[in-house]
Amino acid sequence: MKKILVVDDEENIRLLYKEELEDAGYQVALAGTAEEALEKIRKQIPDVITLDIKMPGMDGIEFMGKLKEENKNIPVILCSAFGQYKQDFRVWASDAYVVKSADLRELKLTIKKILAQGS
Amino acid sequence: MNSENHSSADETLGLEILKKVSRFASSTLDLDETLQQIIQVIMEELKVDTCAIYLSEKGGKQFQLTAWSGLPVEPSSNIVLEIGMGITGWVAQNKQTLALKDAWNDHRFVYFPEIGEERFKSMLSVPMLFKGESLGVINVHTHEERDFTNSEISILETISSQVSGSINNAMLFRRSEMLNKELSILYDISLAVQTTLKLEHGLWIILSGITMGQAGGFNRAMLFTVNEKENVLQGLMGLGPDSPEDAFRIWSELGWKKGNLLQWIIKEVEIGEYRKSRFNEFARGITVPLRPGEHILAETVLQKKPFNVKNGRSHPLVTEEFHHQLGVDAFSTVPLIAHEEVLGVILVDNRYNGKPITEPQLQLLTRFATHASWVMENSRLFSRLLDTNRELLTTKEQLSETEKLAALGEMAAEVAHEIKNPLVSIGGFARRLQEKIHTLTVVEASERDLESITNYGGIIVKEVSRLEKLLKDTLIYSKSGKLDLEECDLNSLLEEVLDLFKTWCYEKNIEVQADLSPDVVQIPVDKQRIKQVMINLLYNAMESMENGGQLKVKCYNDEFAGRQKMVTITFSDTGGGIPDEVFKNIFNPFFTTKVSGTGMGLSICRKIVEGHGGTIRVENVIGQGVKVILHLPLQKVSDYIKNE
Repeated sequence: MKKILVVDDEENIRLLYKEELEDAGYQVALAGTAEEALEKIRKQIPDVITLDIKMPGMDGIEFMGKLKEENKNIPVILCSAFGQYKQDFRVWASDAYVVKSADLRELKLTIKKILAQGS
Repeated sequence: MNSENHSSADETLGLEILKKVSRFASSTLDLDETLQQIIQVIMEELKVDTCAIYLSEKGGKQFQLTAWSGLPVEPSSNIVLEIGMGITGWVAQNKQTLALKDAWNDHRFVYFPEIGEERFKSMLSVPMLFKGESLGVINVHTHEERDFTNSEISILETISSQVSGSINNAMLFRRSEMLNKELSILYDISLAVQTTLKLEHGLWIILSGITMGQAGGFNRAMLFTVNEKENVLQGLMGLGPDSPEDAFRIWSELGWKKGNLLQWIIKEVEIGEYRKSRFNEFARGITVPLRPGEHILAETVLQKKPFNVKNGRSHPLVTEEFHHQLGVDAFSTVPLIAHEEVLGVILVDNRYNGKPITEPQLQLLTRFATHASWVMENSRLFSRLLDTNRELLTTKEQLSETEKLAALGEMAAEVAHEIKNPLVSIGGFARRLQEKIHTLTVVEASERDLESITNYGGIIVKEVSRLEKLLKDTLIYSKSGKLDLEECDLNSLLEEVLDLFKTWCYEKNIEVQADLSPDVVQIPVDKQRIKQVMINLLYNAMESMENGGQLKVKCYNDEFAGRQKMVTITFSDTGGGIPDEVFKNIFNPFFTTKVSGTGMGLSICRKIVEGHGGTIRVENVIGQGVKVILHLPLQKVSDYIKNE
């Protein structure tokens, strides 16, 4: 079973993602901050990370930069409420960018694609 | 009587006269009084029918009939002879006495109807010399034909030479008194004019000065202003009596109100007394097109020179209509000039006392005109200042309006963010609810209940997606204009900009260290905008190091997350850093700590850099300095975002 780490500071969103992604057949771990995510990753390396950009403390882009630099070859999907970060060149280092929506079909499709690439 | 007796009698007479003359000569400095006494003595002693004294004017070029007795001349008349003209002019020019038994038939005789000399047969004319110059001429006439004896001639010559000194003194005294009066009035008027900012008040004060008995002394004065837009001269105001009776009333009221002139005139202006006069209305009704060769007023503007019209009836530039309207033959115009530009014209006349306009009066008028020009120019400048001020205020209002909008935009984005997240979970769970209902096997729920629950879920889902769409559409993105991208060597651009600051660095004792990696790749940027960013950032750094310091500029190839290639430029100063409360706001538009700044600097920089897909970050160490880090990507934004 593929493992997904959901990083988001909003509890309800984490819950929604967990239920939806579990229903879709993934094993889901949750983290509310970048620091917490690092801890989770140390314990178990996920196959994909969905990463919220706007978070207190270290934001998603910075965290992704760190992850990628440490040569952790974990695909990162950046998630944000809006599309404005797409213009930031650092975001281009991510594997995908998904605008958050109540309709999770796009996110699930993106995860599927990325996992397919990896395997 | 033998000749000896005769001469001793003459001597006695001469002595008698001299005694009389010297007595009054030292008693008064008043010119008119002095002249009248001289005339009296001469007429008594020489037993003549008339005596007239002409005094020099315009440095001896003209001689004016100043005092007389026995001549049928009107007191108000102005009789002036050119030097060399007529018998009197000849005597003045040649500085020689002329005794004419039959003056009427002398070849030098010129007939003046105003003087009425034709009634007299013989004439004795003696020059009055002072320090070798003709100060004037004394004339005596007799009805009967008379052969003036040598002793009579010598008596008049003696008197003339004796009184010339005191006449000269009296003339000087009169002139200095006039100058004094003039100066004090001009001083009062300039004071009054300076203390009032209302154009109308200032101009009324000046017109009052022009028409005031002891100042300009003109009967009436009108002021016209140049209307550049319509290219006409427009009557603005007129000051003067409406009729001879009115003139008498005004002049008896209008004593020189020294000291409170300003208040008095302003009061009159405020209650509309000045504006009410028919003459003012007449002046305001005059409009003259500024075309050459048509009208004396227009000509005064176009030629920038005064005109002294003696006979309006025959003057080529005085229209019949204007002559009729004015109702006088003699008047003068003077242009109002400031900064070599004609602002208007003042016209004066002596409609009611008919006095001719004299040279000193015209000189005084010119001085008043200068004051009027200043008043008008000041008022023009002042109103321009007011306009500019008003404009500034409007701009300021607009700016704060923009500021509000910008703040509103930021708030909207913030709110949108805050709404979006709960919306995602509400909508997401509603979707789940909807799906779950189908798998429910609750026996108690009827088919119909399940159907309506599904509908409710559907409504929530639909409404949420509507809101999501709405938020996406209304969210204000920061747009940074269209960029004009071209491959650019950032090192040479930096060198170019640093060169601009060279002198300043030298003056402020700022050491510049430029560490520009030679292998920095060319990247697509809008050269002008990135240059603007560099200038802005350097400017801030320089300003923080008023007392010298060190400026480090670095430029090198770099990458983000080990894969995203970029060029990094850093600017580090040793200006002591930014206080925390300021640092919080550095990217806020309209935030500034500078007296003359707009606060747009850093927020514009950020917009430009973000427009390139890059980032700008400021590291602040209080007590040390500020480091600004710019990242510019190698790729273009348009390669990643298509039409968003």
